[in-house]
Amino acid sequence: MPDYDFKETKTLDYKRPEIQNGYTDQTLYINLSDLQIDIKPVAEKTKKTFIGGKGYDLWLLWNAVQPTTRWNDPENALCIAAGPLGGTPIYPGSGKSIVATLSPTTGSVIDSNVGGYFGPYLKFSGFDALEIQGKTAAEMVVFIDGVNQKVQLFETSGLPENAYALSAILTEHFGQGKPRNISVVSAGPGAKNTLIGCLNFTWYDPKRKRARYKQAGRGGVGSVFAEKGLKAIVACWKTVTADTNNPADKTRLKNVAKLHSREIVELDPKQNEMAKIGTTHLVTIMNDHDLLPTHNFRYGQHDQAPNLGQKVYRRLFDPGFDGCWMGCTVACSHGIKDFVPLTGPYKGQKVFVDGPEYETIAGCGSNLGIFDPHTVAEMNFYCDAYGLDTISVGTAIAFAMECFEMGLIDSTHTGGMELHFGNRDAALEIVHQMAIGEGFGQIVGQGVRRMKAIFAKDFGADAKIMQDIGMEAKGLEFSEYMTKESLAQQGGYGLALKGPQHDEAWLIFLDMVHNFMPTFEQKAEALHWFPMFRTWFGLCGLCKLPWNDIIPEDNKDTAEPAKVMKHVQWYADYFSAITGIEAGPDDLIKMSESVYNFQRIFNLRMGFGRRQHDDLPYRAVGPVTEIEYESRVERYDKQLVETYKADIDGKSTTEKLAMLRKYREEQYEKLKDAVYKRRGWTTDGIPTQKTVKRLSIDFDDVLELLKASGVNS
Amino acid sequence: MIQVAGKQIAWREGMTVSDLLDELGDPHPYAVVRINQQYVTRPNFAQTLVPDDAEVYLIPMVAGG
Repeated sequence: MPDYDFKETKTLDYKRPEIQNGYTDQTLYINLSDLQIDIKPVAEKTKKTFIGGKGYDLWLLWNAVQPTTRWNDPENALCIAAGPLGGTPIYPGSGKSIVATLSPTTGSVIDSNVGGYFGPYLKFSGFDALEIQGKTAAEMVVFIDGVNQKVQLFETSGLPENAYALSAILTEHFGQGKPRNISVVSAGPGAKNTLIGCLNFTWYDPKRKRARYKQAGRGGVGSVFAEKGLKAIVACWKTVTADTNNPADKTRLKNVAKLHSREIVELDPKQNEMAKIGTTHLVTIMNDHDLLPTHNFRYGQHDQAPNLGQKVYRRLFDPGFDGCWMGCTVACSHGIKDFVPLTGPYKGQKVFVDGPEYETIAGCGSNLGIFDPHTVAEMNFYCDAYGLDTISVGTAIAFAMECFEMGLIDSTHTGGMELHFGNRDAALEIVHQMAIGEGFGQIVGQGVRRMKAIFAKDFGADAKIMQDIGMEAKGLEFSEYMTKESLAQQGGYGLALKGPQHDEAWLIFLDMVHNFMPTFEQKAEALHWFPMFRTWFGLCGLCKLPWNDIIPEDNKDTAEPAKVMKHVQWYADYFSAITGIEAGPDDLIKMSESVYNFQRIFNLRMGFGRRQHDDLPYRAVGPVTEIEYESRVERYDKQLVETYKADIDGKSTTEKLAMLRKYREEQYEKLKDAVYKRRGWTTDGIPTQKTVKRLSIDFDDVLELLKASGVNS
Repeated sequence: MIQVAGKQIAWREGMTVSDLLDELGDPHPYAVVRINQQYVTRPNFAQTLVPDDAEVYLIPMVAGG
């Protein structure tokens, strides 16, 4: 007999609507405080303006919260949506869910996209989006049963804490012998006891007969989930075909899907082999270009980096199909079978690790000065099991390690840990402490912004130097790319709406390696077009990898190779085929522009969203310490002399550091000006009234907010 | 003989990636090539030898994140 218990507390029977052209035109609302379950229609204006996915999430959240709402208030809403194209099994990368909520670390809106089956199953069950408000003291499981047309709330007891064990049990319990019909969303104890919790979304792997996991990692979405008292959300659906989305033009859909799918099958083996090694090829490529973060983003290169490269993971990954959505030919979600952790509750047991991907390798490996693939896999495993974001965990521990090395904190603050770079045992111990919310791990689990405040206030650490080396902006920890030598990517991180995550713009190679955008105007254009197109994937429920990670062989001969316009046209065809709304590439950009500007205004409403909030820690812009400068002295001296026409004769490293900093910070401010102008924003980084009118987001409360913020035209 | 981008190129002793790209005459600024399963980046093109019978792939590195 199982030793866990489900007590049904509320059930709503509903009639599932037929999906029309990728939409159900209704959303599911649940309030955990009063056990309310409602179904809300989607207004035509909402559909036209916000498209779906992240757009729907933002609109639901905007209407749920007030400017005074904080992440742990009951009215904060956790929203999850697919998008009109989400759930198409014949087009690669069509299974993404997008999560949005108010973040515990940024205080503003956070969005995070994730693979797995949940978003599509939610939609096929009859809901374009899910909105959860309220809080419960009980442990609550939400069951959305699209097959039997029921939404149920259960109070549970006895279920395991960690995500792996929990999802396995829920998959079996609700699957009733059909585990592929189930997708589980859960967090874990780390999410409950830190502010950097992630959400685990499952997909069922029939070959390995196990639930597999993808993570919505960024900004503490898992911590919001845990704070609400949610144990899990489970969606149940049955067979998925190309007809399930009821596309407007099935023949057109099949034609374009076949083109893209076949191209990936043909070209991925000739390019990055993502179907075999995922994103691990990036490790040595980044390292060779001085772009792989090591030692808290001090440097971009280390001679031991190949220990974490694709050669190693090619051997470690369990071969087989690893698509996190049905029929995806990229199939990059690899894992390690029969891995045996050396620490923690699974010590000595064989487990399956879902990952690692590049970000985890860099964050929990090189950036900590750890070049051991076993430790990275163990960090990956426990972060997932505990519901922790591997990017924030890596960047936060890296910051703590550098503070330790600089003498800003010592072993009396770390509970006796000698927190030097490369200390594998300490890094793992911090992760285990995060899970129980104790020890130094409890402090690290608050994220870099709060760590800086705690170290200064309680440990007397120098706030100024921590501001320079603490790798967060807007309260979000940096993802794992070096930006010192790419002004465009500094903008890609600093001007990103939610904070420094690369899903808005990844321009490092185009800017630094290829020098495709030498002027401010060109950089600004790139920082307009790329964030807009990348946003579009989040509106529609898609993964961006098929767009520009596998590329047509003749792409390099096109006018704008970085945009991969052949694929952009395919995506426009795909959108038209499903929705019946004829769209071209420019239309896709305009769809995103509305949502993008709305999110910027949402930031403003929450007390952020101005120029000052786009600032970066100087470590992201240039060398902070003399040792960093001297490690690349030729590069920096040359730049001072040739680019900035500075006289460095007889100047000390300290003086040259200061000169370089002045120039580079000026460049970044000039970049802000150019980007704001291109985006139709004021010099303070706020969308103008003209911009919001052009984009049809001139809602009364938006215009009132702009006026109150001094934007009158 | 080396296989590269659907073509066959004659191999010679001491041939580097830079030599191979020169011989191909492709002006695209490749940042990465793959020789069999080994990724080689532009900073290493001039000193990386291409072995005989290698399969070389020219990687269009526009993505990453």
